[in-house]
Amino acid sequence: MEANTEIKNAKARIEHIEDVLSSVAAGELDIRIESDIEDDLTGIEQAINLLIDDLTHELKKSIKLKEDMEEKLHKIQEQQKTILQQQEDLMELSSPVSKVWDNLLILPVIGTLDSQRTQIMMENLLQKIVSTGCTTAIIDITGVPTVDTQVANHLLKTVTAARLLGAECIVSGISPAIAQTIVHLGINLSNILTKATMQSAMIYAMKKNEQLVDGKLKTNYSEQDEN
Amino acid sequence: MDFNEKRIPIIKIRDYLIVSIQVDMHDRLALQLQMQILEEISRTGAKGVLIDISTLEMVDSFIGRVLSGMASMASIMDAAVVIVGMQPAVAITLVELGLEMPGVDTALNMELGMEMLEKRLIKA
Repeated sequence: MEANTEIKNAKARIEHIEDVLSSVAAGELDIRIESDIEDDLTGIEQAINLLIDDLTHELKKSIKLKEDMEEKLHKIQEQQKTILQQQEDLMELSSPVSKVWDNLLILPVIGTLDSQRTQIMMENLLQKIVSTGCTTAIIDITGVPTVDTQVANHLLKTVTAARLLGAECIVSGISPAIAQTIVHLGINLSNILTKATMQSAMIYAMKKNEQLVDGKLKTNYSEQDEN
Repeated sequence: MDFNEKRIPIIKIRDYLIVSIQVDMHDRLALQLQMQILEEISRTGAKGVLIDISTLEMVDSFIGRVLSGMASMASIMDAAVVIVGMQPAVAITLVELGLEMPGVDTALNMELGMEMLEKRLIKA
């Protein structure tokens, strides 16, 4: 029985294996262990070659994956940019304050309110009150689907700030859903004048401004006669 | 007292006192103004006070409290106080500070404030 295996040319071959392994470690994956002699060491050499093959394969796969990920990340970043841009646009578009009559401003609110938007709305409205000198403002929230505590609080703040400037705010168009939430949340809107529709708010405001007397419109303008 | 040199002028026109604040308010000046206005009300028997704060760009909680306190003090001396021409930024600050000044009348400008006082006097 041959207990001692004979390895031919052992030293040179082991050195060769070492060389190959160190090149692989350095990143050269095309190198394989070459050997013409078949003996016990051949098995190890072949196993190492197989391992290098596997490693090459995995490495290629992970590089491809990384590229994919980078591409996706890039796409997501682009989308993020678009979203931010659109948000900004929305902010600018979403709070127009228009003067509809002498002494009467209307701020129609459409869409969901968040604190940032209500803040901008508030600033716009106050600025407009000062620049136009109007003392009545109607905030119409018909187009607002829901209201939470924070938004209700902001509405209250807006109305109070307008009062401090010397203008009166009327909130109109509170939907049944919003009325329910407001009462369930325990928000006290009793300091705020609310009207069911923009129409009734306008009628109230114009009566108060003495522009509407006994159902007749008093006007100082050059009348565009419909008769 | 050097503060007396920087007194804020109080102008009496008919039944009204007009106070236009055109300097930065600091705490002592605010208290002094409060004193001055109340004395002037009792001296002249004025029925209304118009305080113009349109050039005031900053208000802290103390000044806010002095202003609203002044209004209630004047009203128990039978003079209505109208605060006139508040800046939007000041209004926002006061509201954020929780100083909503209940019971204080405000007007957009001096003209509207004067009208407001006149209406009030006719009613009374």
